[in-house]
Amino acid sequence: MKVVVNLELCQGHARCEDICPEVFSTDAVEGKCVIEQPEFPADLEEKVRLAVRNCPEGALRIAKS
Amino acid sequence: MTLQFQPFPPDHVPAELMVDFDFFRIPEGTSDPAEIWHDLVRRGVPDIFYTPHNGGHWVFLDYDDIVEGYRDHSIFSTYQTPIPPIEPFPVVQPQGVDPPEQNVFRRLLAPMFTPIAVRGMVEHLEHRSAELIERFADRGECDFITDYAEKFPTGTFLYLFGLPEERLPEFLALANVFFRSTDPAERASNITEIYAVLDALFREKMASPGDDIASAVVNARDENGQQHKWENILNCGFLLFVAGLDTVTNTMAYIWRYLATTPEARQYFVAVLDDPDAFLRAIEELMRINAVSNLFRRVTHDCEYKGIRFRRNDRVILPNTVANRDPDVFDNPQKIDLDRKVNRHVTFGVGPHRCIGSHLAKREVMVTLQQWLKRIPDFELAPDQPEGSVFGGSVMGFTGLKLRWPVAAK
Ligand code: HEM
Ligand code: SF4
Repeated sequence: MKVVVNLELCQGHARCEDICPEVFSTDAVEGKCVIEQPEFPADLEEKVRLAVRNCPEGALRIAKS
Repeated sequence: MTLQFQPFPPDHVPAELMVDFDFFRIPEGTSDPAEIWHDLVRRGVPDIFYTPHNGGHWVFLDYDDIVEGYRDHSIFSTYQTPIPPIEPFPVVQPQGVDPPEQNVFRRLLAPMFTPIAVRGMVEHLEHRSAELIERFADRGECDFITDYAEKFPTGTFLYLFGLPEERLPEFLALANVFFRSTDPAERASNITEIYAVLDALFREKMASPGDDIASAVVNARDENGQQHKWENILNCGFLLFVAGLDTVTNTMAYIWRYLATTPEARQYFVAVLDDPDAFLRAIEELMRINAVSNLFRRVTHDCEYKGIRFRRNDRVILPNTVANRDPDVFDNPQKIDLDRKVNRHVTFGVGPHRCIGSHLAKREVMVTLQQWLKRIPDFELAPDQPEGSVFGGSVMGFTGLKLRWPVAAK
């Protein structure tokens, strides 16, 4: 499975990074989401799903890879 | 542009949407100023209503409408929004302008407030927090507001702006009048004074730049290679001064008041200090429950939203504390669940103006909790709380919060 970010919507709350730093970080210029590991391993699925559900902008989405 | 005061009651507002509500007025005996907002929900007033108080304005109570108010700047602008109206009001940068104009100062400031940038401030924050707490830890009592919660964020402003700590009393005094004075003459001269201090400061940072935000702002270049307009530089400095003081002070006051009265919560925090995931979840829950800011918007043109007629220049208030307890979005919204897993709170707003200082603000709270609980794991409200110590408005909070704790006999 794969997680994608819509950078038009992302406003850099960094909730994704706080919840699952294995997959998400934020950049040094705008503080927006950077997906370090788009095709995340199955054992991180729960955390990635939580990150998606906590994003206040609805900027994250899980897609079939 | 000049704005007119609303005629009251305005003829575009149907009688069933009129509610008698003054967000500055806290009834006597209220211990939590946010309750005036939750009381509206309990009374079942309409999700979108109009009150004639404070120049007349709308209030949104539904999570989705509040989010829309933040996001849709084609209808809900941040330009000239004070409630009650003040004219002229400084066009603060970047909060007081809509995108795309907002982008200029937003992009200039963004790199200095990212999570990466804030990680670089942690050591400084820890040091300053520990030092402040140690001044009173042995005393067994303090006024949390004046001894800590005002000093700490004001000190952070000095640090961000590359100013020496000796200037703390001067900036505390300026901030106190700004946030608490109700005397129009005093308020006006206070703002003039703040601008004069900023003006001198930016000139100094132009002549001898340092590694600080004031230097970055004053020495930045626009797309034509020119310095930004002086007025905008000052208005940006002004916003950075006021945005991170009262908000942080009162968020902390709410949290310490809750901890003082909830031993299980103190124990929980002590237990999760070394568990970053659990600690962060607990912090987000404190942020959700203790949302001190009620933001303002101004309607850009005559229009309909959700079938209701809005008129150009109508003001709107977006109360975050209400959005954060919307039962359609949060399970068991009134319960403080420090292990809440799904928590899309809007304490720092959403959309283009999302609080640029949110990572710093949260870090200030986290650092303070860590430093405090190490030294003062158990504390309670002192019996002699100051009278009339709560206030409403665009930031809600407390003017005094006396705490006490046991100290070992020497
Ligand atoms: C717990 C503390 C804080 C709360 C609750 C808070 C809340 C907010 C909210 C709700 C907004 C959105 C304004 C809008 O949409 O009109 C905002 C914007 C802003 N905040 Fe904060 N804030 C806090 C701390 C800070 C700190 C520490 C700083 C910086 C030192 C800061 C700087 C700003 C700035 C510059 C903006 C305007 C951003 C823009 O318009 O692009 N805030 N804040
Ligand atoms: S939580 Fe959402 S808005 Fe925030 S950085 Fe992550 S993707 Fe962006």
